[in-house]
Amino acid sequence: MAQTGAVDYLGLIKNGIFKENTIFKLALSLCPSIAVTNNLRNGVLMGVAVLFVQVMVNITISVMRNFIHPRIRLPIFMLVISGWVTVTDMSMAAFAPEAYKQMGLYIQLIVAFASILARAEMFASKNKIVPSMFDGVGMGLGFLSALTIISFFREILGKGSLWGFPVIHAKPLLIMVLPAGGFFAVGILMGFFNWIGMRNNKGH
Amino acid sequence: MTGKDILKITLNLVVIYVIGGVILAAVYAKTSPIMYKNAVLEKERALKRLMPDADSIEKIGDWTIHEKHAEYFIAKNGGAVTGYIIQSFGKGYSSYIDTLIAVDKDFRVQKISILGHAETPGLGDEIETDGFRKQFAGKDADHLRVLKTDTKEYIQAISGATISSRAVTEDAVKSGVDFLIKTLKEKGPDHGTDGRS
Repeated sequence: MAQTGAVDYLGLIKNGIFKENTIFKLALSLCPSIAVTNNLRNGVLMGVAVLFVQVMVNITISVMRNFIHPRIRLPIFMLVISGWVTVTDMSMAAFAPEAYKQMGLYIQLIVAFASILARAEMFASKNKIVPSMFDGVGMGLGFLSALTIISFFREILGKGSLWGFPVIHAKPLLIMVLPAGGFFAVGILMGFFNWIGMRNNKGH
Repeated sequence: MTGKDILKITLNLVVIYVIGGVILAAVYAKTSPIMYKNAVLEKERALKRLMPDADSIEKIGDWTIHEKHAEYFIAKNGGAVTGYIIQSFGKGYSSYIDTLIAVDKDFRVQKISILGHAETPGLGDEIETDGFRKQFAGKDADHLRVLKTDTKEYIQAISGATISSRAVTEDAVKSGVDFLIKTLKEKGPDHGTDGRS
């Protein structure tokens, strides 16, 4: 990770999307990747909510990184995460009730996401504000794209629709929208992306 | 761990938790009245959508189901009663489903509307879709039953969400309609408004 000299912003973002993708590479936060990905809309909205909270938490932790005593860093991270989630939840309910109706179910779930705590611990608590922000953007985008891919396949295979609109007029594999299908989808996609990664490595 | 560490940790925790608490309290104080107003507005709008022809919708009483407080309303058009709306709750898979049910004078269901729930996204939340809710139009109390097979006469369950379908149909809507029939036959249709006005 770039820590000295000029900050490699693009590298930080790419790192989150590809090399350290939360779901497919780090295998963190697998619970939401199965629980809320049975249709595309849910997957994308969850991803957007996580992206926002991840960036805000990374910035906050980075600002406070020299003040926090290392022994109590985890309770402090948890407070920052739950604080941001609660603030987001309440503000959206008040000022964007329409969007909240769609996303309210997901926002409160974010408190328990391992991926956010992990980035606070591994990156934001050791880096300056701007790189931490870009790390948050990268990680959030990685999570968003992973959820989008998983939910795309689950919705089209399980319901024959995308974003709620019917695409193919059949339900080829109902099991894909049930919890078991989530394990299949995540497992197969994770294997697929690792296979691509290995092939690319052999080429070098 | 030295005394200095203990002091620093204490100071750390106190400062951060106090700041966090103040921020949360401030946001809550600012947003909670707006949230309450939104909820009231949302309910009013839902009532209007359920009874678009009525020119007045008045509350006539309160009742409780699953230990939750709910209200019921009378809808009138030019002084004549056109129907009733009752709020009801059904015990679903992972939440109580908050439902509004509009019935006509003869207690046939006209429309239902889901105000709130926390059922599984992607499965249970299909109770909100038009396809499921439209099935209720014209059903009387005896036909509020969920079947897993194709049906026009009764309510067809959502595949993968039988529990949520049953909670809406056989719990929320059925209890609401039964309650309306019982209460209004006992006390007369206008008992609430008469007492107040």
